Amino acid sequence: MDILSYLLPLFDLEVLWVIALGTLGGLIIGALPGLTATMGVALLIPLTFGMQPVMGLNMLIGIYIGGIYGGCISAILLRTPGTPSSAATVLDGYPMALKGEAGRALGMATIASTIGGLFAAVVLATLAPQLAGVALRFGAAEYFALALFGLTIIASLSGDILKGVISGLLGILIACFGADPITGGLRYTFGLSGFASGFAFTPALIGLFALSEVFTQLERLGRDEKVTLKVAGRWPTRADMRDSRGALIRGSIIGTIIGIIPGTGSGTASWIAYNEAKRSSKTPEKFGTGYPPGLAATESANNAVCAAALIPLLALGIPGDVVTAVLMGGLMIQGLAPGPMLYVTNPDVVVGIFGGTFIATIFMFIFGMALIPVFSRILMIPKHILAVTIVVFCFIGSYSINLNPVDLYTMVGFGVLGWGMQKFGFSQPALCIALILGPMMEANLRRGLLQTHNDLGAFLSGPITLVFLGLAALSLFLPLLAQAKARRNQPQLK
Amino acid sequence: MKITAALAATAASFLATAALAQYPERPIQIIVPYSAGGGTDLSVRLLAESLTRHLPNARVVVRNQPGGGGSIGTSAAIHARPDGYTLGTGAQGPISLLPHMGGTDYQLDEVGFVALFGRNLQVLVGCANAPFQDFDSFMEYARDTPVQVGNSGAGGASHISAEAFAKVANVKIESVPYPGAADARTACIGGHIDAMVASPAEALAASEAGQMTPIFVMEDERIDLFPDTPTAVEKGVDFTWSSWKGIIAPQGLPEDVQATLQQALAAAVEDEEFLKAMDDLGEFVTFEDSEGYRARAEADSEIARQTIDDLGLTGMNN
Repeated sequence: MDILSYLLPLFDLEVLWVIALGTLGGLIIGALPGLTATMGVALLIPLTFGMQPVMGLNMLIGIYIGGIYGGCISAILLRTPGTPSSAATVLDGYPMALKGEAGRALGMATIASTIGGLFAAVVLATLAPQLAGVALRFGAAEYFALALFGLTIIASLSGDILKGVISGLLGILIACFGADPITGGLRYTFGLSGFASGFAFTPALIGLFALSEVFTQLERLGRDEKVTLKVAGRWPTRADMRDSRGALIRGSIIGTIIGIIPGTGSGTASWIAYNEAKRSSKTPEKFGTGYPPGLAATESANNAVCAAALIPLLALGIPGDVVTAVLMGGLMIQGLAPGPMLYVTNPDVVVGIFGGTFIATIFMFIFGMALIPVFSRILMIPKHILAVTIVVFCFIGSYSINLNPVDLYTMVGFGVLGWGMQKFGFSQPALCIALILGPMMEANLRRGLLQTHNDLGAFLSGPITLVFLGLAALSLFLPLLAQAKARRNQPQLK
Repeated sequence: MKITAALAATAASFLATAALAQYPERPIQIIVPYSAGGGTDLSVRLLAESLTRHLPNARVVVRNQPGGGGSIGTSAAIHARPDGYTLGTGAQGPISLLPHMGGTDYQLDEVGFVALFGRNLQVLVGCANAPFQDFDSFMEYARDTPVQVGNSGAGGASHISAEAFAKVANVKIESVPYPGAADARTACIGGHIDAMVASPAEALAASEAGQMTPIFVMEDERIDLFPDTPTAVEKGVDFTWSSWKGIIAPQGLPEDVQATLQQALAAAVEDEEFLKAMDDLGEFVTFEDSEGYRARAEADSEIARQTIDDLGLTGMNN
């Protein structure tokens, strides 16, 4: 009865309208490269000052959910991840669009995002207090092991393992630029004060994937003019859904787990989910060629993170990722202190947020599906015009994040780098993963060594650490074994 | 003769009011040197909203320019055109701490101070499973065993304040840096560090839930939010510290602009709606004019200079 009375205000027309508006706004923000969900939520917090807590917070949650989802639209259509969380979606989404299956790819991504989102919302509403405790057990050693596990994905993502490892190491090197995480000292800034934070991540990503693709397209301009203008429906086939079942389940679970762990976000979750889907697939070779289960994995995972990151926030007062950290500010402005007491003092707000995540996810599904034909029209734009437009967006997007001119050089530099890597068969995803996880690995390794006075043994104890280290070993050696086996088998086939 | 004088006087007063009425004729930008959504960002947004109510014709835009621990956005504000249309958020770290470590393209004496509007009070808290529960047991423990104190970034306010306290109180600490206050807080509640320096807002809910134990307050007198927690001063350790933020500008603002701004800010800070929102956010509002603001920044800069020198971090980024 209580719960019902707390949920009732959500079905007020005005509240629904605000959640819908937030979700749609988030969707557009997410689709525009350089504008991230974090930014959307932060910029719109002042709008919520005058609103009832449940209404204001759910508008922000709508922006969050819509924003993480929206990233897939430009990732699929333009090879430009709208937000870092959709970088992995590029791998199978863009090849599908090239094959004239943009509609089906967007449909799959929308369905996957919805399933991941709803799964995590159910977990949030039922198990939040129990699961939140897990988040507290992550210390330096656990984070280090998680990052190491994430990095081993590189081995299975790259066709050529040596080139993949080189790409990954390059990414780790690049991630070392900027402030040292432990001493605060500046490294490799070449005396440029605008470079004090190192390479900004989103401009790097925009250059790496989007600008490099423009370069590649320009090279081909005039050579192959065969452009696929077909968008082909919006619903995935029954076979797609069957093939993707495992990827959807794994993606939702992985996204939820990673979401609960503070300090990790949807970027990490989508890469790990992608790798797990590929590793457990019977047809791993199809991943990266425009295979719907690849999309299903990344998109279910990154949207599961949204609701999951609210779990430690609501249960413990600990934000699960950057966006929820901003949301915490939104809660506090309403005079609500997130934490265990919130369940006691403001159950209406907690239940209202649970309900809001469901409603926002449903709105996301409706808007996503309805707008597929509109978005897909982007592909109808002649290639040379599209290329110019993308370049303009790359510049605006990169500059608008920090208003730091150095970010423009970063974007262009990574554009050239990405183009070269593509040309010579080096893995851009491997570089991207290293950029996300390298800093996490370094900071936690050094923090752990500092705390234990250089006792490496601390990194080899504890159940969570051991599980991740085991997974890392598995993920590193299985692809190597598979490759060796394939090489052994090859001569017999001839 | 009389008429000309009267005319001249009228004209002069007309011109003067015209000049005053002219500012602001364009939107005023306030640069926040951190990402959108943090405590400083949110309070500047609240202030901007209040300012539009107390500065006639003003439109105030908040612009985030994060990076370099706040030095990038602070530099942009200091080096902007001194016309009153580009202002900055003057926070303690970028103004009083970072220049000692080097790597900034400005110094404290290049800052144009307009008005200080908020302070972040600081509480040292014990974390989950900490081997001390109050000031006395903390001091006794820390005399022999180094306490692992988490901070929100090497060289930042919470790092410097913990180290400076340890020196004054003659206790041992080991600073453990995290990327931000939220990360340090998570580690604290999870029991991965022994203690941290937190703001009352960061510590209140967690203390009530038993996830943290307030040890002492870094103020002269006890504070309302933690009435049972002693100050270091009353326990005989002469140490106070708070972090703060205000509005800064490039040096050389036109005098009338500086006066108009300062007056409007004074009114904006007393705005009831603003005070209520800041209170909910856990922010401590206090107004200091440009002189008081400068004096505070200089005093903290001197404490920081010594601490940073003791830590061997002086000029490390030059």
